[in-house]
Amino acid sequence: MSSVLSIQNITKYYGSVRALNNVSFDIPEGSVFGILGPNGSGKTTLLSIILDVLKANNGTFSWFGHPGSPEQRKKIGSLLETPNFYHYLSASDNLKITQAISGRGVTSDIDKVLMKVNLYERRKSSFKTFSLGMKQRLAVGAALLGEPQVLVLDEPTNGLDPVGIAEIRQLIIELRDQGHTIIMASHLLDEVEKVCTHVAILKTGNLLTTGDVEEVLVDEDVVEAGAADLDALSSVLQQISKNVSIDTASKTVHAVLPKGTAKLDEINSFCFQKGVVLNHLLLKKKRLEARFFELTNN
Amino acid sequence: MNNLIRTEWLKIRKYKAFWWIIGLTALSYPGISYIFHNIYDSFTNRTGQAAQLIKSLIGNPFTFPEVWHTLAFSSSLFVFIPSVVVIMFITNEYTFKTNRQNIIDGWSRNEFMASKFIDVLLVSLLVTLLYIIICIVTGFTTEGGSGEIWGMAYYAGLFSLQTFSQLSIAFLVGFLLRKAFMALGIFIFYFIVLEPILVGLAKWKANDIGEFLPLEISDRLIPMPAFMGRIDKEAYEKALASINIHILYTVILTSLIWWICFRVNNRRDM
Repeated sequence: MSSVLSIQNITKYYGSVRALNNVSFDIPEGSVFGILGPNGSGKTTLLSIILDVLKANNGTFSWFGHPGSPEQRKKIGSLLETPNFYHYLSASDNLKITQAISGRGVTSDIDKVLMKVNLYERRKSSFKTFSLGMKQRLAVGAALLGEPQVLVLDEPTNGLDPVGIAEIRQLIIELRDQGHTIIMASHLLDEVEKVCTHVAILKTGNLLTTGDVEEVLVDEDVVEAGAADLDALSSVLQQISKNVSIDTASKTVHAVLPKGTAKLDEINSFCFQKGVVLNHLLLKKKRLEARFFELTNN
Repeated sequence: MNNLIRTEWLKIRKYKAFWWIIGLTALSYPGISYIFHNIYDSFTNRTGQAAQLIKSLIGNPFTFPEVWHTLAFSSSLFVFIPSVVVIMFITNEYTFKTNRQNIIDGWSRNEFMASKFIDVLLVSLLVTLLYIIICIVTGFTTEGGSGEIWGMAYYAGLFSLQTFSQLSIAFLVGFLLRKAFMALGIFIFYFIVLEPILVGLAKWKANDIGEFLPLEISDRLIPMPAFMGRIDKEAYEKALASINIHILYTVILTSLIWWICFRVNNRRDM
């Protein structure tokens, strides 16, 4: 799979504060790439650099195999940090400016994207009269104008209500299914887990890990098993795992095994041979939230 | 180029503050001319000997061709009115963070600054057009003069250069400070109060070094009108003689201002 964006050794200082430290990774074509990190981890700084709003102190990046340029940016729909529009102009007039600068789409596409983000009825209202959620939806609409192959979305669900969040999530899934590449910064782990195929986790400007979501999420196998006698089950499982615990709340036993080694049919058979009949057996994936805290708290 | 002009037009065509200030400029320039004209009439229309003496001494500065010079001088005193528009053009971009968005959407940083250069140029041309219309109307409605309608029309060029230069200074202040009220306050205070004092002090104490102050450089493109020059003929002749060198100074200063704007915009984070 070819890379849409390749980031090489990006470093950025704000005065003496190092906001990004030698960050490198590639974003594959057709992926939904989540850039995760706590506040101040450098997510927006990184996106600002690849969109030429900030200058990196060191490192390079390339879009579609070429150094960043205005021509490359015109092909990318972007929402960076906050919705940036002329307050005195209407939604429709603001998108005309986006269209004039980027050259993406034609005038009739403006109404289409306004319908897509549920702002068509308010297309003639000035931007300053919009709620935060409406401003955010207009920014998403601007990014979608002309159906660009690549979208950069920084906290796309900021300020949206639960319905708005679900709509944007659905929109991202639709775009992913149509083959668009989406680069999305977020600190909402649930949102990333639901839509992203790849992820990079940043902390205080350092890249902690990057890769396929499955690879990043699963660093060990956790087997959840249940039986009438939990103590007996725990003793049996201790023969195959050094890390076994009883969860009294769910009345299950958790056994941690090296990644990729848990074979449920073999475990079931082993327990049966040892006289323990299982009434529950499950291979659990670690949730992104747990993995995120694990990584960022280290 | 066409794309830059079209996009800037999309930004300003529905910007009410812009049209209000342009309207205010359109009213104030003929207003200034009318006031000056009235003052002149009130002195010279009297029947006494003194009035006739004044009339024969200063002539009529509102007839062709002297009207070009007189109104260029009086109009140039009010460049701070369109400077409000110019400062708002750039500070709005920072207030709304649309300077970032324009880059994100695909303009280069040079294109963004070129669009602002075009804005300042267009406002200067608009103000100059207004000045030309007022000169023609005033000249044709005032009796007398030599009949040389276009004799001193070169003052339109000087007025245009002066306006562009001074609006460029206003732009630079807005560009560097980014805050509309701060930029407007500082520019207007400097324009109306500080620089005139410094120029006066320099004439008195420092061998007229004030001629190199940013606004004064282009102020000297348009010396006082001829009738005022009769008070100190030597100073007037000297002012006329220094116009050419001040054209050069103004071009150098204005080029420097825009070089700074382009360079800073290319280097600083947005």
